Amino acid sequence: MAEQRLADELKRNEEPLLPVEKKLIGWSLIAGVILLGVLIWISYTFFPA
Amino acid sequence: MTTAQAAKGVSEDWLSVWIGLAIFVLCLGPLVGADVLGWGVTTAVWTDPSKALAPVSKAYGGLSGVGSLIVTYVVLLVLLTGGATLLRARVGKFIGGFTVVFWASYLCWIIGSWAYIAATSDRLKAFGISWSLSLTAEAGFLVALIAGLAVGNLFPRVTAAIKEATRPEWYIKTAIVLLGGFLGITAAERLGLATSVMFRGLCAIIEAYLIYWAVVYFVARKWFGLSREWAAPLASGISICGVSAAIATAGAIKARPIVPIMISSLVVVFSCVELLILPFLAQTFLYTEPMVAGGWMGLAVKTDGAAVASGAITDSLIRAKALTMQGVSYQEGWIVGTTTTVKVFIDMFIGVWAFILAVIWTTAIERRPGERANRRQIWERFPKFVIGYVVTFLIVLCIGVSAPGLTSKAKAAMGEANVFRGIFFVMTFFTIGVMSNFRKLWDEGLGKLAGIYLLCLFGFIIWVGLLVSWLFFHGIKPPVMPG
Repeated sequence: MAEQRLADELKRNEEPLLPVEKKLIGWSLIAGVILLGVLIWISYTFFPA
Repeated sequence: MTTAQAAKGVSEDWLSVWIGLAIFVLCLGPLVGADVLGWGVTTAVWTDPSKALAPVSKAYGGLSGVGSLIVTYVVLLVLLTGGATLLRARVGKFIGGFTVVFWASYLCWIIGSWAYIAATSDRLKAFGISWSLSLTAEAGFLVALIAGLAVGNLFPRVTAAIKEATRPEWYIKTAIVLLGGFLGITAAERLGLATSVMFRGLCAIIEAYLIYWAVVYFVARKWFGLSREWAAPLASGISICGVSAAIATAGAIKARPIVPIMISSLVVVFSCVELLILPFLAQTFLYTEPMVAGGWMGLAVKTDGAAVASGAITDSLIRAKALTMQGVSYQEGWIVGTTTTVKVFIDMFIGVWAFILAVIWTTAIERRPGERANRRQIWERFPKFVIGYVVTFLIVLCIGVSAPGLTSKAKAAMGEANVFRGIFFVMTFFTIGVMSNFRKLWDEGLGKLAGIYLLCLFGFIIWVGLLVSWLFFHGIKPPVMPG
Protein backbone atom coordinates (compact mmCIF):
# COMPACT_ATOMS: atom_id res chain seq x y z
CA MET A 1 0.00 0.00 0.00
CA ALA A 2 2.80 2.39 0.99
CA GLU A 3 4.55 1.66 -2.31
CA GLN A 4 1.32 2.38 -4.20
CA ARG A 5 0.94 5.71 -2.39
CA LEU A 6 4.51 6.59 -3.29
CA ALA A 7 3.83 5.89 -6.97
CA ASP A 8 0.67 8.04 -6.78
CA GLU A 9 2.56 10.82 -5.07
CA LEU A 10 5.17 10.84 -7.82
CA LYS A 11 2.44 11.08 -10.47
CA ARG A 12 0.88 14.26 -9.06
CA ASN A 13 1.88 17.72 -10.23
CA GLU A 14 0.55 20.30 -7.84
CA GLU A 15 3.53 22.57 -7.42
CA PRO A 16 4.19 25.03 -10.25
CA LEU A 17 7.70 26.44 -10.59
CA LEU A 18 7.98 29.48 -8.33
CA PRO A 19 9.79 32.62 -9.54
CA VAL A 20 12.53 31.97 -6.98
CA GLU A 21 13.10 28.49 -8.40
CA LYS A 22 13.29 29.93 -11.92
CA LYS A 23 15.84 32.44 -10.62
CA LEU A 24 17.85 29.69 -8.95
CA ILE A 25 17.95 27.66 -12.18
CA GLY A 26 18.66 30.68 -14.38
CA TRP A 27 21.38 32.24 -12.24
CA SER A 28 23.01 28.90 -11.67
CA LEU A 29 23.27 28.28 -15.42
CA ILE A 30 24.41 31.85 -16.17
CA ALA A 31 27.07 31.64 -13.44
CA GLY A 32 28.11 28.23 -14.74
CA VAL A 33 28.61 29.43 -18.31
CA ILE A 34 30.45 32.63 -17.31
CA LEU A 35 32.67 30.79 -14.82
CA LEU A 36 33.42 28.17 -17.45
CA GLY A 37 35.12 30.79 -19.62
CA VAL A 38 36.90 32.42 -16.67
CA LEU A 39 38.17 29.15 -15.18
CA ILE A 40 39.38 27.80 -18.51
CA TRP A 41 41.35 31.02 -19.01
CA ILE A 42 42.85 30.80 -15.48
CA SER A 43 43.68 27.12 -15.95
CA TYR A 44 45.55 27.56 -19.20
CA THR A 45 47.20 30.84 -18.14
CA PHE A 46 48.33 30.09 -14.59
CA PHE A 47 48.29 26.27 -14.43
CA PRO A 48 49.60 25.04 -17.78
CA ALA A 49 50.08 21.30 -18.14
CA MET B 1 27.05 12.30 9.73
CA THR B 2 23.30 12.25 10.18
CA THR B 3 21.64 12.52 13.56
CA ALA B 4 20.51 8.92 13.25
CA GLN B 5 24.08 7.81 12.63
CA ALA B 6 25.30 9.82 15.60
CA ALA B 7 22.82 8.03 17.82
CA LYS B 8 24.06 4.67 16.53
CA GLY B 9 27.76 5.27 17.16
CA VAL B 10 30.77 6.60 15.30
CA SER B 11 30.09 7.31 11.62
CA GLU B 12 31.51 5.24 8.78
CA ASP B 13 33.04 8.48 7.59
CA TRP B 14 35.22 9.01 10.69
CA LEU B 15 35.90 5.31 11.05
CA SER B 16 37.32 5.14 7.53
CA VAL B 17 39.66 8.01 8.46
CA TRP B 18 40.98 6.26 11.59
CA ILE B 19 41.31 2.81 10.01
CA GLY B 20 42.88 4.25 6.87
CA LEU B 21 45.33 6.33 8.89
CA ALA B 22 46.21 3.37 11.15
CA ILE B 23 47.08 1.21 8.14
CA PHE B 24 48.87 4.15 6.51
CA VAL B 25 51.07 4.79 9.58
CA LEU B 26 51.99 1.11 9.87
CA CYS B 27 52.82 1.06 6.16
CA LEU B 28 55.36 3.85 6.73
CA GLY B 29 57.50 1.30 8.59
CA PRO B 30 60.02 0.85 5.71
CA LEU B 31 60.98 4.53 6.12
CA VAL B 32 62.47 3.70 9.53
CA GLY B 33 63.61 0.18 8.69
CA ALA B 34 60.63 -1.64 10.19
CA ASP B 35 58.57 -3.68 7.72
CA VAL B 36 55.39 -4.07 9.76
CA LEU B 37 52.81 -4.90 7.07
CA GLY B 38 54.97 -6.67 4.51
CA TRP B 39 52.97 -9.87 4.99
CA GLY B 40 50.00 -8.32 3.13
CA VAL B 41 48.94 -10.50 0.19
CA THR B 42 49.42 -9.44 -3.42
CA THR B 43 48.02 -11.14 -6.48
CA ALA B 44 50.13 -11.41 -9.61
CA VAL B 45 48.85 -12.14 -13.10
CA TRP B 46 49.08 -15.93 -13.37
CA THR B 47 48.91 -18.97 -15.56
CA ASP B 48 49.82 -21.30 -12.69
CA PRO B 49 47.39 -20.60 -9.82
CA SER B 50 49.93 -21.77 -7.24
CA LYS B 51 52.04 -18.73 -8.16
CA ALA B 52 49.24 -16.17 -8.01
CA LEU B 53 49.63 -15.14 -4.39
CA ALA B 54 52.64 -13.85 -2.44
CA PRO B 55 53.45 -11.49 0.44
CA VAL B 56 54.08 -7.93 -0.76
CA SER B 57 57.50 -7.66 0.90
CA LYS B 58 60.49 -9.88 0.27
CA ALA B 59 61.22 -9.59 3.99
CA TYR B 60 58.34 -12.05 4.45
CA GLY B 61 59.51 -14.41 1.69
CA GLY B 62 59.25 -17.39 4.05
CA LEU B 63 55.46 -16.99 4.18
CA SER B 64 53.50 -18.82 1.49
CA GLY B 65 50.97 -16.98 -0.70
CA VAL B 66 48.02 -18.75 0.92
CA GLY B 67 49.54 -18.10 4.35
CA SER B 68 49.83 -14.39 3.60
CA LEU B 69 46.21 -14.37 2.39
CA ILE B 70 45.06 -15.98 5.64
CA VAL B 71 47.09 -13.55 7.75
CA THR B 72 45.67 -10.64 5.75
CA TYR B 73 42.13 -11.93 6.29
CA VAL B 74 42.62 -12.43 10.04
CA VAL B 75 44.16 -8.99 10.58
CA LEU B 76 41.48 -7.22 8.53
CA LEU B 77 38.78 -9.22 10.28
CA VAL B 78 40.05 -8.11 13.69
CA LEU B 79 40.51 -4.50 12.57
CA LEU B 80 37.15 -4.16 10.87
CA THR B 81 35.27 -6.07 13.55
CA GLY B 82 36.63 -3.49 15.99
CA GLY B 83 35.31 -0.85 13.61
CA ALA B 84 31.96 -2.59 13.34
CA THR B 85 31.72 -2.56 17.14
CA LEU B 86 32.22 1.21 17.12
CA LEU B 87 29.55 1.45 14.41
CA ARG B 88 27.25 -0.46 16.77
CA ALA B 89 26.78 -3.10 14.10
CA ARG B 90 25.74 -6.64 15.09
CA VAL B 91 29.24 -8.02 15.55
CA GLY B 92 28.42 -11.73 15.14
CA LYS B 93 26.62 -11.08 11.87
CA PHE B 94 29.39 -8.74 10.74
CA ILE B 95 32.06 -11.40 11.29
CA GLY B 96 30.11 -13.92 9.21
CA GLY B 97 29.25 -11.37 6.55
CA PHE B 98 32.78 -10.00 6.32
CA THR B 99 34.18 -13.49 5.96
CA VAL B 100 31.94 -14.10 2.93
CA VAL B 101 32.64 -10.65 1.48
CA PHE B 102 36.41 -10.99 1.91
CA TRP B 103 36.81 -14.49 0.47
CA ALA B 104 34.31 -13.99 -2.35
CA SER B 105 35.93 -10.69 -3.31
CA TYR B 106 39.44 -12.07 -3.17
CA LEU B 107 38.50 -15.12 -5.18
CA CYS B 108 37.13 -12.77 -7.84
CA TRP B 109 40.40 -10.86 -7.82
CA ILE B 110 42.37 -14.07 -8.31
CA ILE B 111 40.08 -15.10 -11.19
CA GLY B 112 40.43 -11.64 -12.77
CA SER B 113 44.22 -11.97 -12.59
CA TRP B 114 44.26 -15.04 -14.86
CA ALA B 115 46.68 -14.25 -17.67
CA TYR B 116 44.08 -14.87 -20.41
CA ILE B 117 41.99 -12.10 -18.84
CA ALA B 118 44.59 -9.76 -17.40
CA ALA B 119 47.90 -9.98 -19.28
CA THR B 120 48.77 -6.93 -21.37
CA SER B 121 50.04 -7.41 -24.92
CA ASP B 122 53.68 -6.84 -24.00
CA ARG B 123 53.63 -9.77 -21.59
CA LEU B 124 51.93 -12.48 -23.65
CA LYS B 125 55.25 -14.14 -24.54
CA ALA B 126 56.38 -14.09 -20.94
CA PHE B 127 53.26 -16.04 -19.99
CA GLY B 128 53.52 -18.35 -23.00
CA ILE B 129 50.03 -17.49 -24.26
CA SER B 130 48.89 -16.26 -27.67
CA TRP B 131 45.97 -14.03 -26.67
CA SER B 132 44.46 -12.17 -23.74
CA LEU B 133 41.62 -9.77 -23.03
CA SER B 134 44.32 -7.34 -21.78
CA LEU B 135 42.14 -6.08 -18.95
CA THR B 136 45.05 -6.03 -16.44
CA ALA B 137 44.73 -7.41 -12.92
CA GLU B 138 42.02 -4.82 -12.16
CA ALA B 139 39.69 -7.09 -14.16
CA GLY B 140 39.21 -8.74 -10.79
CA PHE B 141 37.20 -5.68 -9.77
CA LEU B 142 34.75 -6.29 -12.62
CA VAL B 143 34.54 -9.99 -11.80
CA ALA B 144 33.74 -8.98 -8.21
CA LEU B 145 31.06 -6.55 -9.39
CA ILE B 146 29.41 -9.19 -11.59
CA ALA B 147 29.58 -11.75 -8.77
CA GLY B 148 28.07 -9.19 -6.38
CA LEU B 149 25.28 -8.42 -8.86
CA ALA B 150 24.53 -12.14 -9.16
CA VAL B 151 24.34 -12.47 -5.37
CA GLY B 152 22.28 -9.29 -4.92
CA ASN B 153 19.73 -10.15 -7.58
CA LEU B 154 19.56 -13.95 -7.50
CA PHE B 155 20.32 -14.97 -3.90
CA PRO B 156 18.25 -12.82 -1.52
CA ARG B 157 18.99 -15.06 1.48
CA VAL B 158 22.74 -14.70 1.03
CA THR B 159 22.29 -10.96 0.53
CA ALA B 160 20.36 -10.73 3.80
CA ALA B 161 22.90 -12.90 5.63
CA ILE B 162 25.86 -10.68 4.71
CA LYS B 163 24.00 -7.39 4.97
CA GLU B 164 25.90 -6.27 8.07
CA ALA B 165 29.19 -6.39 6.15
CA THR B 166 27.77 -5.01 2.89
CA ARG B 167 29.25 -1.55 3.38
CA PRO B 168 30.75 -0.30 0.11
CA GLU B 169 30.92 3.31 1.30
CA TRP B 170 33.00 2.34 4.34
CA TYR B 171 35.37 0.21 2.28
CA ILE B 172 35.85 2.79 -0.46
CA LYS B 173 36.37 5.67 1.96
CA THR B 174 39.09 3.68 3.74
CA ALA B 175 40.61 2.89 0.35
CA ILE B 176 40.53 6.58 -0.59
CA VAL B 177 42.41 7.52 2.61
CA LEU B 178 45.10 5.00 1.61
CA LEU B 179 45.00 6.20 -2.00
CA GLY B 180 46.02 9.67 -0.79
CA GLY B 181 49.50 8.42 0.14
CA PHE B 182 49.96 6.58 -3.15
CA LEU B 183 48.96 9.67 -5.11
CA GLY B 184 51.18 11.79 -2.85
CA ILE B 185 54.33 9.96 -3.89
CA THR B 186 53.16 9.98 -7.52
CA ALA B 187 52.57 13.75 -7.34
CA ALA B 188 55.91 14.41 -5.62
CA GLU B 189 57.71 13.20 -8.71
CA ARG B 190 55.73 15.56 -10.99
CA LEU B 191 54.65 18.42 -8.73
CA GLY B 192 53.83 20.89 -11.53
CA LEU B 193 51.58 18.41 -13.30
CA ALA B 194 49.88 17.42 -10.02
CA THR B 195 49.15 21.08 -9.17
CA SER B 196 47.67 21.64 -12.60
CA VAL B 197 45.47 18.54 -12.31
CA MET B 198 44.22 19.58 -8.87
CA PHE B 199 43.32 23.12 -9.94
CA ARG B 200 41.55 21.90 -13.06
CA GLY B 201 39.70 19.31 -11.02
CA LEU B 202 38.41 22.06 -8.78
CA CYS B 203 37.30 24.10 -11.81
CA ALA B 204 35.55 21.11 -13.35
CA ILE B 205 33.42 20.40 -10.33
CA ILE B 206 32.29 24.04 -9.97
CA GLU B 207 30.90 23.66 -13.46
CA ALA B 208 29.28 20.36 -12.54
CA TYR B 209 27.45 21.88 -9.58
CA LEU B 210 26.20 24.96 -11.39
CA ILE B 211 25.19 23.39 -14.69
CA TYR B 212 24.21 19.83 -13.78
CA TRP B 213 22.04 20.63 -10.78
CA ALA B 214 20.08 23.42 -12.43
CA VAL B 215 19.25 21.39 -15.54
CA VAL B 216 18.27 18.23 -13.66
CA TYR B 217 16.11 20.23 -11.23
CA PHE B 218 14.40 21.96 -14.15
CA VAL B 219 13.76 18.68 -15.99
CA ALA B 220 12.40 17.01 -12.86
CA ARG B 221 10.11 19.92 -11.97
CA LYS B 222 8.98 21.17 -15.36
CA TRP B 223 8.96 18.10 -17.60
CA PHE B 224 8.23 15.35 -15.08
CA GLY B 225 6.16 17.38 -12.61
CA LEU B 226 7.95 16.24 -9.46
CA SER B 227 7.39 18.14 -6.25
CA ARG B 228 10.22 20.24 -4.83
CA GLU B 229 10.69 17.69 -2.06
CA TRP B 230 11.56 14.99 -4.63
CA ALA B 231 13.16 17.16 -7.29
CA ALA B 232 15.89 18.79 -5.18
CA PRO B 233 17.39 15.61 -3.65
CA LEU B 234 17.00 13.83 -6.99
CA ALA B 235 18.85 16.66 -8.77
CA SER B 236 21.65 16.45 -6.21
CA GLY B 237 21.74 12.66 -6.37
CA ILE B 238 21.98 12.58 -10.16
CA SER B 239 24.19 15.59 -10.66
CA ILE B 240 26.55 15.85 -7.71
CA CYS B 241 27.65 12.87 -5.72
CA GLY B 242 24.94 10.31 -5.41
CA VAL B 243 23.93 9.06 -2.02
CA SER B 244 25.71 11.64 0.13
CA ALA B 245 24.40 14.57 -1.89
CA ALA B 246 20.83 13.25 -1.94
CA ILE B 247 20.91 12.80 1.84
CA ALA B 248 22.52 16.21 2.44
CA THR B 249 20.03 17.99 0.19
CA ALA B 250 17.06 16.17 1.69
CA GLY B 251 18.26 17.28 5.12
CA ALA B 252 18.77 20.85 3.93
CA ILE B 253 15.24 21.18 2.54
CA LYS B 254 13.65 19.10 5.32
CA ALA B 255 12.41 16.34 3.03
CA ARG B 256 10.95 13.16 4.56
CA PRO B 257 13.50 10.36 5.21
CA ILE B 258 11.85 8.14 2.58
CA VAL B 259 12.91 10.57 -0.18
CA PRO B 260 16.73 10.21 0.05
CA ILE B 261 16.38 6.49 0.78
CA MET B 262 14.47 5.91 -2.45
CA ILE B 263 16.77 8.15 -4.45
CA SER B 264 19.84 6.47 -2.97
CA SER B 265 18.67 3.09 -4.20
CA LEU B 266 18.37 4.57 -7.70
CA VAL B 267 21.80 6.13 -7.44
CA VAL B 268 23.46 2.85 -6.45
CA VAL B 269 21.81 0.90 -9.26
CA PHE B 270 22.66 3.44 -11.95
CA SER B 271 26.23 3.85 -10.64
CA CYS B 272 26.60 0.15 -11.13
CA VAL B 273 25.40 0.44 -14.74
CA GLU B 274 27.81 3.32 -15.36
CA LEU B 275 30.64 1.35 -13.81
CA LEU B 276 30.07 -1.46 -16.27
CA ILE B 277 29.84 0.79 -19.34
CA LEU B 278 31.83 4.02 -19.04
CA PRO B 279 35.37 2.66 -18.46
CA PHE B 280 35.08 0.63 -21.67
CA LEU B 281 33.74 3.65 -23.58
CA ALA B 282 36.67 5.64 -22.22
CA GLN B 283 39.10 2.94 -23.28
CA THR B 284 37.64 2.85 -26.79
CA PHE B 285 37.42 6.58 -27.46
CA LEU B 286 39.71 8.34 -24.99
CA TYR B 287 42.90 6.29 -24.86
CA THR B 288 44.68 9.22 -26.49
CA GLU B 289 43.36 11.58 -23.78
CA PRO B 290 43.85 9.62 -20.54
CA MET B 291 43.33 12.51 -18.13
CA VAL B 292 40.08 13.52 -19.86
CA ALA B 293 38.91 9.97 -19.21
CA GLY B 294 39.90 10.20 -15.54
CA GLY B 295 38.11 13.52 -15.04
CA TRP B 296 35.08 12.17 -16.91
CA MET B 297 34.72 9.24 -14.50
CA GLY B 298 34.79 11.64 -11.56
CA LEU B 299 32.17 13.91 -13.12
CA ALA B 300 29.85 11.27 -14.54
CA VAL B 301 29.84 8.30 -12.17
CA LYS B 302 27.93 8.82 -8.94
CA THR B 303 28.83 7.54 -5.47
CA ASP B 304 32.41 7.63 -4.26
CA GLY B 305 32.79 3.89 -4.57
CA ALA B 306 31.66 3.57 -8.16
CA ALA B 307 33.47 6.73 -9.30
CA VAL B 308 36.89 5.87 -7.89
CA ALA B 309 36.38 2.26 -8.92
CA SER B 310 35.60 3.42 -12.47
CA GLY B 311 38.74 5.53 -12.36
CA ALA B 312 40.81 2.52 -11.33
CA ILE B 313 39.38 0.37 -14.13
CA THR B 314 39.80 3.19 -16.64
CA ASP B 315 43.39 3.68 -15.49
CA SER B 316 44.26 0.07 -16.25
CA LEU B 317 42.18 -0.24 -19.44
CA ILE B 318 43.57 2.93 -21.01
CA ARG B 319 47.17 2.16 -20.07
CA ALA B 320 46.77 -1.29 -21.62
CA LYS B 321 45.25 0.14 -24.82
CA ALA B 322 47.81 2.95 -25.09
CA LEU B 323 50.53 0.34 -24.80
CA THR B 324 48.96 -1.83 -27.50
CA MET B 325 47.97 0.93 -29.93
CA GLN B 326 50.68 3.53 -29.40
CA GLY B 327 53.47 1.65 -27.67
CA VAL B 328 53.26 4.19 -24.84
CA SER B 329 53.45 2.99 -21.25
CA TYR B 330 51.81 5.58 -19.01
CA GLN B 331 52.68 5.70 -15.32
CA GLU B 332 50.01 4.02 -13.19
CA GLY B 333 47.84 6.14 -10.92
CA TRP B 334 47.45 9.44 -12.78
CA ILE B 335 44.08 8.60 -14.33
CA VAL B 336 42.55 7.29 -11.13
CA GLY B 337 44.27 10.21 -9.38
CA THR B 338 42.38 12.65 -11.61
CA THR B 339 39.11 10.84 -10.92
CA THR B 340 39.77 10.93 -7.19
CA THR B 341 40.74 14.61 -7.24
CA VAL B 342 37.49 15.51 -9.00
CA LYS B 343 35.46 13.29 -6.67
CA VAL B 344 37.10 14.61 -3.52
CA PHE B 345 36.42 18.21 -4.56
CA ILE B 346 32.82 17.29 -5.35
CA ASP B 347 32.47 15.74 -1.88
CA MET B 348 34.02 18.75 -0.20
CA PHE B 349 31.42 21.05 -1.72
CA ILE B 350 28.37 18.97 -0.84
CA GLY B 351 28.13 20.74 2.52
CA VAL B 352 28.40 24.15 0.89
CA TRP B 353 25.75 23.30 -1.69
CA ALA B 354 23.43 21.88 0.97
CA PHE B 355 23.92 25.09 2.94
CA ILE B 356 23.08 27.26 -0.09
CA LEU B 357 19.92 25.22 -0.73
CA ALA B 358 18.98 25.37 2.95
CA VAL B 359 19.27 29.18 2.87
CA ILE B 360 17.16 29.43 -0.30
CA TRP B 361 14.53 26.99 1.02
CA THR B 362 14.22 28.56 4.45
CA THR B 363 14.26 32.17 3.25
CA ALA B 364 12.39 32.04 -0.04
CA ILE B 365 10.66 28.76 -0.86
CA GLU B 366 9.33 27.27 2.35
CA ARG B 367 9.74 30.06 4.84
CA ARG B 368 9.08 28.71 8.35
CA PRO B 369 9.10 30.91 11.44
CA GLY B 370 12.23 30.61 13.59
CA GLU B 371 14.18 28.46 11.09
CA ARG B 372 17.57 29.56 9.82
CA ALA B 373 20.36 27.78 8.06
CA ASN B 374 23.67 27.86 9.95
CA ARG B 375 27.32 27.33 9.14
CA ARG B 376 27.44 24.26 11.35
CA GLN B 377 25.51 22.44 8.64
CA ILE B 378 28.50 22.83 6.32
CA TRP B 379 30.73 21.00 8.78
CA GLU B 380 28.07 18.36 9.52
CA ARG B 381 27.74 17.61 5.81
CA PHE B 382 31.48 17.74 5.16
CA PRO B 383 32.71 14.25 4.18
CA LYS B 384 35.29 13.55 6.90
CA PHE B 385 37.16 10.86 4.98
CA VAL B 386 38.43 13.66 2.77
CA ILE B 387 40.51 14.80 5.77
CA GLY B 388 42.22 11.40 5.85
CA TYR B 389 42.85 11.54 2.11
CA VAL B 390 44.38 15.03 2.33
CA VAL B 391 46.53 14.09 5.36
CA THR B 392 48.05 10.99 3.75
CA PHE B 393 48.50 12.85 0.45
CA LEU B 394 50.31 15.78 2.09
CA ILE B 395 52.49 13.63 4.39
CA VAL B 396 53.85 11.56 1.51
CA LEU B 397 54.06 14.58 -0.80
CA CYS B 398 56.14 16.42 1.84
CA ILE B 399 58.41 13.41 2.30
CA GLY B 400 58.90 13.12 -1.47
CA VAL B 401 59.57 16.83 -1.99
CA SER B 402 61.66 17.60 1.12
CA ALA B 403 63.69 14.39 1.29
CA PRO B 404 64.17 12.98 -2.23
CA GLY B 405 66.57 10.40 -0.77
CA LEU B 406 63.63 8.74 0.93
CA THR B 407 61.55 8.52 -2.24
CA SER B 408 62.36 4.86 -2.95
CA LYS B 409 61.52 3.86 0.63
CA ALA B 410 58.32 5.93 0.50
CA LYS B 411 57.40 4.13 -2.73
CA ALA B 412 57.93 0.77 -1.02
CA ALA B 413 55.80 1.94 1.90
CA MET B 414 53.01 3.08 -0.39
CA GLY B 415 53.33 -0.21 -2.28
CA GLU B 416 52.32 -1.93 0.95
CA ALA B 417 49.48 0.55 1.49
CA ASN B 418 48.39 -0.19 -2.07
CA VAL B 419 47.91 -3.85 -1.19
CA PHE B 420 45.29 -2.93 1.40
CA ARG B 421 43.77 -0.29 -0.88
CA GLY B 422 43.30 -3.00 -3.51
CA ILE B 423 41.58 -5.30 -1.03
CA PHE B 424 39.23 -2.53 0.09
CA PHE B 425 38.59 -1.73 -3.59
CA VAL B 426 37.67 -5.27 -4.54
CA MET B 427 35.37 -5.57 -1.52
CA THR B 428 33.76 -2.28 -2.60
CA PHE B 429 33.03 -3.67 -6.06
CA PHE B 430 31.56 -6.88 -4.67
CA THR B 431 29.34 -5.12 -2.14
CA ILE B 432 28.18 -2.47 -4.64
CA GLY B 433 26.97 -5.37 -6.76
CA VAL B 434 25.27 -7.01 -3.77
CA MET B 435 23.41 -3.76 -2.99
CA SER B 436 22.22 -3.21 -6.56
CA ASN B 437 18.88 -4.96 -6.57
CA PHE B 438 17.28 -4.09 -9.91
CA ARG B 439 14.06 -6.00 -9.24
CA LYS B 440 13.44 -4.20 -5.96
CA LEU B 441 13.74 -0.86 -7.70
CA TRP B 442 10.92 -1.60 -10.08
CA ASP B 443 8.84 -3.27 -7.38
CA GLU B 444 8.91 -0.02 -5.41
CA GLY B 445 7.25 1.89 -8.23
CA LEU B 446 10.21 4.13 -8.94
CA GLY B 447 9.77 3.98 -12.70
CA LYS B 448 9.22 7.72 -13.02
CA LEU B 449 12.28 8.63 -10.96
CA ALA B 450 14.28 6.07 -12.89
CA GLY B 451 13.05 7.66 -16.13
CA ILE B 452 14.30 11.08 -15.06
CA TYR B 453 17.56 9.56 -13.89
CA LEU B 454 18.02 7.71 -17.17
CA LEU B 455 17.18 10.76 -19.29
CA CYS B 456 19.39 13.18 -17.35
CA LEU B 457 22.30 10.84 -16.80
CA PHE B 458 22.64 9.31 -20.25
CA GLY B 459 21.11 12.21 -22.18
CA PHE B 460 22.92 15.07 -20.52
CA ILE B 461 25.23 14.58 -17.55
CA ILE B 462 27.55 12.02 -19.07
CA TRP B 463 28.10 14.15 -22.18
CA VAL B 464 28.37 17.52 -20.42
CA GLY B 465 30.76 15.84 -17.98
CA LEU B 466 32.79 14.63 -20.95
CA LEU B 467 32.80 18.15 -22.46
CA VAL B 468 33.81 19.81 -19.17
CA SER B 469 36.49 17.20 -18.58
CA TRP B 470 37.79 17.66 -22.13
CA LEU B 471 37.88 21.46 -21.74
CA PHE B 472 39.97 21.24 -18.58
CA PHE B 473 42.10 18.13 -19.12
CA HIS B 474 42.68 17.69 -22.85
CA GLY B 475 46.31 17.68 -23.90
CA ILE B 476 47.49 16.72 -20.41
CA LYS B 477 49.20 13.34 -20.39
CA PRO B 478 50.42 11.18 -17.50
CA PRO B 479 54.18 10.72 -17.27
CA VAL B 480 55.50 7.97 -19.54
CA MET B 481 57.36 5.04 -17.99
CA PRO B 482 60.97 4.80 -19.13
CA GLY B 483 62.03 1.91 -21.37
